[in-house]
Amino acid sequence: QNNTNTLGKVLSFCSFASAAASLRPLPAEVRSQRNAVFSREQARQRALYPRIEKIEVSMHGPGLDGTLLIMNRGMSTPLSCARHLTEHHVKNSALALVDGEPWPLHQPLTSSCSLTLLTFKDSDPTLVNQAYWRSCAALLGQVIETAFKDEYTVELLSTPEVAVTSGAFCCDVVLDPQLDSWTPSEESLRSLTRGAQQLIHQDQAWEPLEVVPSVALEVFSHSRCKQEEVEQKASQNPKGTVMLYRCGDHVLLSGGPLVARTGLCSQYEVTALHNLGQGSWGVQRRAQGLSLPLQLQAHHTVWRKLRQRAEKLVRATNLCFLPQTVVQQS
Amino acid sequence: MRLTLQMLISHGRMARRMGLGPESRINMLRNILTGLVRHERIETTLARADEVRFYAEKLVDYAKKGDKDEKAMKMASFWLTEKDLVPKLFKVLAPRFETQSHGYTRMARIPNRQNLDRAKMAVLEYKGNPFPPLYPAKKENELTLINQLLKGYREERAQQLDAKL
Repeated sequence: QNNTNTLGKVLSFCSFASAAASLRPLPAEVRSQRNAVFSREQARQRALYPRIEKIEVSMHGPGLDGTLLIMNRGMSTPLSCARHLTEHHVKNSALALVDGEPWPLHQPLTSSCSLTLLTFKDSDPTLVNQAYWRSCAALLGQVIETAFKDEYTVELLSTPEVAVTSGAFCCDVVLDPQLDSWTPSEESLRSLTRGAQQLIHQDQAWEPLEVVPSVALEVFSHSRCKQEEVEQKASQNPKGTVMLYRCGDHVLLSGGPLVARTGLCSQYEVTALHNLGQGSWGVQRRAQGLSLPLQLQAHHTVWRKLRQRAEKLVRATNLCFLPQTVVQQS
Repeated sequence: MRLTLQMLISHGRMARRMGLGPESRINMLRNILTGLVRHERIETTLARADEVRFYAEKLVDYAKKGDKDEKAMKMASFWLTEKDLVPKLFKVLAPRFETQSHGYTRMARIPNRQNLDRAKMAVLEYKGNPFPPLYPAKKENELTLINQLLKGYREERAQQLDAKL
């Protein structure tokens, strides 16, 4: 709770009445409720395979062509396939390609397929870069949601899909109306960065779960904005399901696959919090950050230049760069 | 003769002894140099490649004088035992190295010979030869995350400069 205290000290000059706070459930309660529903749904999906059935997974990749692994249906994940190979595969793979489809590393395999493990240093890491950018934005959303004091509401809007060349990933939030006039100082941005670094240090896995929209609506029963996002994503998905991810005890919604663990990021900084103006839910803010993975660290001179660029406002253009073969996208 | 210790110790002696004597050494180097001019990349022992390097570069310097020059033609015909390589030397190799003043050859070590002698081997080549390079230049991947971020950074800088002007 270190960063909450620092942020609390920064915000101590605001003296606001918290009359509305008593009507809302506490953030901790909301989190535990979402966690409970997620765990319940996860347990239910795992119980669909009471007996162990075997599937054949054929590996593709440099030096792995022709390798056949016999794995369990509904239990083995691409990560467990990597653990059968070498430590290099476990540490460096960020995303998997199952039958040509991007697949999160912790999602169980359901049928015999061909598997390719993707890293950051492949000849074409575009999918991995996109997934990494999305994961960093999700991490930023998680940090912001847990950073403020209990009396202030934080609503996470859908993270806009930004191209990597724009220089920063962004996360749209709507803060409590009491904070409308608040602009973040450098100290508060730094404390947010510290919060993110703590999460990275804990090396939490992003556990994926594919659910029907009704379960997702139950998960986000306390947040109308999130429920609308669930409906929107469900309508855009051809299968009609929604992907939920859990990191630690925070459940989030994502438009595409995320990378395996928070530990894959190494350099992470929250660079800016811009004010976008009045939106349908309140004053919209765009939080931006910059991050690089563990395998591609930058020298501090390069990092400083990129970070300076990441402070500028990034305008999200609409989805013109996504590859056509991707299915689980919004 | 006096069997002095000087005969057994050769500290500081730079000249190598190859073959049966100095004449045999020159003949051996001549053969290797002919092979180099014919094939433009050869594989020999390290010591022989190192010795031939000096003579190969001197030969190119003589060839640069032109085939009308008396001395150059005598040198070329002495050093190249196969006479069909003399026109190749003057017409192909000399024009290739017109702009350079030195460093016409490249030597790279390769794994030792697998025979009993385990001799140190090397590859000697004239630069600008048609074969694939000995040290292939590794192209950095443009699509990695950090390169994409830097590409965006460079483009923005270029845009800003254009807007300024």
